[in-house]
Amino acid sequence: MFQLTDIPRILPEILLIVLALLVLGSDIFERWSNDAASQRERSRSAASLTIFGLVMIFVIVLLQSGYVYKLPEDAPVNFFTNIVRNLQSGGPVGDPILGVFATDHLTVIARLTLIAAALLTALLTLDFRPIGHPAEFYALLLSSTAGMGLMAAANELILAYLAVELTSIPLYIMAGYFRAETKSSEAGMKYFLFGALSSGILLYGMSLTYGFVANAFNASISANNLTQFDTIARAAFLSDDGRGMLILGMIFIIAGLGYKVAVVPFHGWSPDVYQGAPTPVTAFVSTASKAAGFFLLYRVLVTAFPGLNGSLESFDELSGWTTLLALLTLLTLIVGNLAALPQNNAKRLLAYSSIAQAGFILLALLAWASPLPIDREMGASALIYYLIVYTVTNIGAFGALAVVSMAVGGDELSDLNGLARRNLGLTVLFTVSVLSLAGIPPLAGFFAKFYVFMAAWQAGATWLVIIALVTTIISLYYYLRFLKAMFITAPADDTPIATPLGMNATLIVTTVLLLVLGIFPNLILSVIDQVQAVAGAGF
Amino acid sequence: MINAVPLEWVLTVSAALFCIGLFGALSRRNMVGILMGVELMLNSVNINLVAFWRYLEPRFITGQTFALFVITVAAAEAAVGLAMIIAIYRNWATVNADDVDSMKG
Repeated sequence: MFQLTDIPRILPEILLIVLALLVLGSDIFERWSNDAASQRERSRSAASLTIFGLVMIFVIVLLQSGYVYKLPEDAPVNFFTNIVRNLQSGGPVGDPILGVFATDHLTVIARLTLIAAALLTALLTLDFRPIGHPAEFYALLLSSTAGMGLMAAANELILAYLAVELTSIPLYIMAGYFRAETKSSEAGMKYFLFGALSSGILLYGMSLTYGFVANAFNASISANNLTQFDTIARAAFLSDDGRGMLILGMIFIIAGLGYKVAVVPFHGWSPDVYQGAPTPVTAFVSTASKAAGFFLLYRVLVTAFPGLNGSLESFDELSGWTTLLALLTLLTLIVGNLAALPQNNAKRLLAYSSIAQAGFILLALLAWASPLPIDREMGASALIYYLIVYTVTNIGAFGALAVVSMAVGGDELSDLNGLARRNLGLTVLFTVSVLSLAGIPPLAGFFAKFYVFMAAWQAGATWLVIIALVTTIISLYYYLRFLKAMFITAPADDTPIATPLGMNATLIVTTVLLLVLGIFPNLILSVIDQVQAVAGAGF
Repeated sequence: MINAVPLEWVLTVSAALFCIGLFGALSRRNMVGILMGVELMLNSVNINLVAFWRYLEPRFITGQTFALFVITVAAAEAAVGLAMIIAIYRNWATVNADDVDSMKG
């Protein structure tokens, strides 16, 4: 039964939707004239409302999670402690609401990551090129964020599907938001066509899985919700009848989600979309949407298909999803890193780099090939740590690129030439992001990669870790091309570039986070370590 | 009545429909054609869901509910997709997916 006390547990998503409506409403009920000044004012008001609201929601989720401050039992009863107590009662505790909406540590950490990503994206958009219909843009951003929160929380197939669509459909529109431009509309169209195809594949897998469960529980009356992840796991445990259908369904689900997170061979859309979409949208698509996809993939595989995890010992036959993911990891690491080498467009280069990063993230999921819970726990922590670091890093990199492409008017690698002489501060911030992507100590990217390699090594994916190490070294080449362009090559002209305030804030926040998380990873590792306690429970 | 058509036949029809849709989506050059292929795939999913519901668990409504959600979301998706195709046509004066190719690398 849904109870009133469950409302605090879904509060962040409710607030995001309310904020989206508020942003839309504040735009509709005001009369804006058509001159440039008042249009800028209109854009600013929508952006500031979004940013203010997202900061509030972030603080609420942080307070609710109890990670930084836990209200003591014997706190005095007054107005403020009552608010905090009510909020924290909806913290990362309890069974999933109605069995479909999990609010465990995984959800709460995912919400914090995704809302922070949306906030940084809104800050980037604030000073980006003027967009028409700004309120709709921010409303789409917010509803997409709500969908991502649902993706991380979904514990049931229907909710998972709806969350994926609630995330994707606004993103298609945002990618094609400059609809009068050829590149942006092309990016939106390609994103849409590939996304629609992938959701068809995902759905077919879900329908087969549902059919298997319905067949397994055919005789018993007690089975009610046949699409819950733990019901699927129980059905796979009980029944062997039609197992081929379940495996086929699982493969289709992995393929459908593989499109969303852009792993090879499902990556075809991502370079074009990343290059063509407005740069702040690219930052959002490449980080938040990919992270949400991985959160969902992790929860589906771990709670719905724990019995089919397979092993990395033999590749003679497909023994489970870790074997399949090992294959995808191999392809993603090699294709992503090699295809990045000849690129001359900075955004496209970062797109291939983010495909390669998806390969490293997949490595962490391979930890489930090991039967030992301790290895799996390490894999889960490595996965989430990598996702957080990757989100922060890529928003920083694309944010710096947004500044350059706004000032110079292009995003080729040659447009970065001599950036150090034009704006040293921006160059330093960009350099930190790029070095963190490459995995140079003491930045957070180094520790994230190290942790992922360690988890995969423990689980027995030795040869894959060696390949990952080799491709990391290859990747240094194209990351250093950024530095060469910025520091060594002479610029076409010497006029200084100014960084707008919102973008500056984003870049400084990401850089500080990368340094802090790299030097003191324990700050968030103690929080992340709690994830496994909930997500891995069950069969 | 229910045994007149075995479940396997229904599933075969739906699998065939899925394959036709997938083939259409991958082979058609016209964007509207691709969209139609995707719609066929979604419809095969609906046949699957409703068949599983009718044959295996007619006491509950999970499969039906799922199918209803799929139909609704497919309509929303088609609306966005057609709007996107109109935007492409305005910029490129074509709806051929192969011709819309400004980015290389």
